[in-house]
Amino acid sequence: MLKPYRVLDLTTERGLLCGQMLGDMGADVVKVEPPGGCSARGIAPFYKDAPHPDRSLYWWAYNRNKRAITLDIERDGGRALLRRLVERADFLIESHNPGYLSQQGLGFSDLARINPALIYVSITPFGQDGPKASYADSDLIVMAAGGPLILAGDDDRPPVRLSVPQAYLHASTDAAVAALAAHHERVRSGLGQHVDLAAQQSVAMATQSNILAAALGSVEPRRTSGGVKLGPLDIPLVFPARDGFVAMVFLFGSALGVFTARLMHFICEHGFCDEATRDKDWIAYGEQLFSGVEPLSEFERVKEILRTFTRNHTKSELLDMAVERGFLITPVATIDEVVESPQFASRGYFHSVAHPELGESFRYPGPFAKFSATPIECRLRPPTIGEHNSEIYRDELGLSEREIAELSRAGII
Amino acid sequence: MPNDLPLKDVKICDFMWVMAGPASTRILADYGATVVRIEAPNRIDTARTLQPFLDSKLGPDSSGLFANCNAGKFGISLDLRNRAAHTVVHDLVRWADVVTESFSPKAMRAWGFDYESLRKVNPNLIMLSSCLMGQTGPLAKIAGFGNMAAAISGFHNLTGWPDRPPAGVFGAYTDYVAPRFTAMAILAALDHRRRTGQGQYIDQSQAECSIHFLGPAILDYTVNGRVEGRVGNSDAAFAPHGVYPAAGDDQWVAIVCRSDDEWRRLCAAMENEKLARDSRYASAAGRLEHRDAIDSSIAAWSRALDRGAIESRLQSQGVPAHQLQNSADAYADPQFAHRGHFVALDHPSLGKFTVEGPRAKLSRTPATVRRAAPALGQDNQHVLETILGYDETRISELAASGALG
Repeated sequence: MLKPYRVLDLTTERGLLCGQMLGDMGADVVKVEPPGGCSARGIAPFYKDAPHPDRSLYWWAYNRNKRAITLDIERDGGRALLRRLVERADFLIESHNPGYLSQQGLGFSDLARINPALIYVSITPFGQDGPKASYADSDLIVMAAGGPLILAGDDDRPPVRLSVPQAYLHASTDAAVAALAAHHERVRSGLGQHVDLAAQQSVAMATQSNILAAALGSVEPRRTSGGVKLGPLDIPLVFPARDGFVAMVFLFGSALGVFTARLMHFICEHGFCDEATRDKDWIAYGEQLFSGVEPLSEFERVKEILRTFTRNHTKSELLDMAVERGFLITPVATIDEVVESPQFASRGYFHSVAHPELGESFRYPGPFAKFSATPIECRLRPPTIGEHNSEIYRDELGLSEREIAELSRAGII
Repeated sequence: MPNDLPLKDVKICDFMWVMAGPASTRILADYGATVVRIEAPNRIDTARTLQPFLDSKLGPDSSGLFANCNAGKFGISLDLRNRAAHTVVHDLVRWADVVTESFSPKAMRAWGFDYESLRKVNPNLIMLSSCLMGQTGPLAKIAGFGNMAAAISGFHNLTGWPDRPPAGVFGAYTDYVAPRFTAMAILAALDHRRRTGQGQYIDQSQAECSIHFLGPAILDYTVNGRVEGRVGNSDAAFAPHGVYPAAGDDQWVAIVCRSDDEWRRLCAAMENEKLARDSRYASAAGRLEHRDAIDSSIAAWSRALDRGAIESRLQSQGVPAHQLQNSADAYADPQFAHRGHFVALDHPSLGKFTVEGPRAKLSRTPATVRRAAPALGQDNQHVLETILGYDETRISELAASGALG
């Protein structure tokens, strides 16, 4: 879909997914790395647990469908080459600290002079300016600042994050959308612009709009193990199964109460509760709990009935019931269960990607969506350091072998 | 409405409901797309029943979740069981560049609104379906919410403590991830159509797109055979890396050292010479090995101090730190304020209604939130008269048929 477009990807370990998504959709993405390679190449886990810059699985996860060149943008020769690449680029994505690229003479206004149609995308923790723009960051810091971190965890322990870093993935995907919106406008105006993403804002998406609670005068949700606490109500969304856990929506109101009623009928049929419990008003139940018409102790008893029910079944039994009867239950899958899932297999989701340099193939997450006319393919496995230097510098920019060798000797590429 | 918004010429006929779908077309509306969302008069959008609520009062228009996901759109109420409504749908499809829907598979087919049928109405149509598991496969039928897709894609099992059940992930996680993939898919398909004239159908599984957010853990299994589990807040490379108590009830601050230098600066900020001199802690490997002892030392220091003061003191020394923010903290946060993250809109019946602003700042054609989310059927007249060009007689007949609810 995006085949005509060239993307220069100058991101550090933050923001790598943005270029991969554009690459998945067909764009010609060129990863521009410093001569020693992008810092992401040093992030665990590694192939066979042996650190190696071409074998970081963190790198692999976010860099397929990209070509890679090395270029020292802190030196004149490197900057000159980058400017030549910018002349024919449609997008540039970067995730350096605010101000760094401007100091190199490679800020948005510098490059817009060379190529006024360039869309220049910056992905940073807190945005290009503002009181916290120069804050030191990491995934955990951004998740703390943006709102999701405080919402998850056991109430007797500190709030807890998802162990795979998420903050810059949220920002990267927001950035890809913004870049394409700017591109849509460029088709009319012929002009590029600067797109400034703040990961803090992107991760606020993961609060389920609860980031608005104070502004709206609403209840502030609090963390509780595998669920959420709203005022006095402790609402679990994770339940025990015989062989692990399941996620379940056990909620009330005009939309969700219907599902709860359906589940309670089934539970009653199978002898886990009496008819009086089954026949509670599941639509009005939330309001009854808030107003005190239904005592909290009764809610606790109902939750225990549900736990007894789920604990008596395996994850796959509960999933079968959900499919057959329309219950809102799915298993809490371990990573091996995810990869080996018949659902994903039936859709051919996980793609085998060949790594000729290792003589092996590995299964990667597949297309993020199925496009009927322009299916997503893995055209290129994640590149090794400088893998496409010749292709770009010699074949495209027309440098001679001698010039390339000199640049290489000088440590510029 | 300003006419220089990037997507000012993009028209979307939007059947999406609840969270993941509407959050995606909200993004496109911010960039200027005209989004007409079709809402059933006889079956409430679940998002209208979910927290947070304006002034803590339940009501069909007072859900902040609904307001946040649907700001900037027009709303028409259509009873799709009524044949007269189908004519309106076909006219909207003819008008639209893109049709979006997020029902469970088969719903659109049952109404005759599947891609093959709608393409007869609009041959260049782009249509996107988004549901939990995708349109095909043994679990295609599973309806439900993003917490269910998140659980089955591996997110929950990686959130929490090794000695406890999964503690999260919070809420309907794939509903936060999927909307961006939805929006980028639509924009790329629009570009492809502009250049080739070819529309297409896009089948989006919210689970499958979200799995890209677990890439390294997936590869650790497919490459190394390792099944990662819950590890609390610890990190494979950094220590300290955690959430520490601060003064007050349930107050927390996140602190991370990414390098030996940051560790030395943290020790200096804590005025803890003993820690700074302890050779076991001089390298990341040593700190990872002794992370529990280090965590205890930091917690002993932090618990007496104000979390904001810890954040300022450590950040002034270049050490990554931030207080854990709830919505009140976020609303008062100077950086969120600087970015214009909270936008107060005028709601026709409820007064001031705050939603989140656009996330990306575009320097030349900035996105904007143009109006509050529509009440059920609020824009029937506008959509029928101005967008579809129906005359008064036709609109009255439609209303009389019950098609508008």
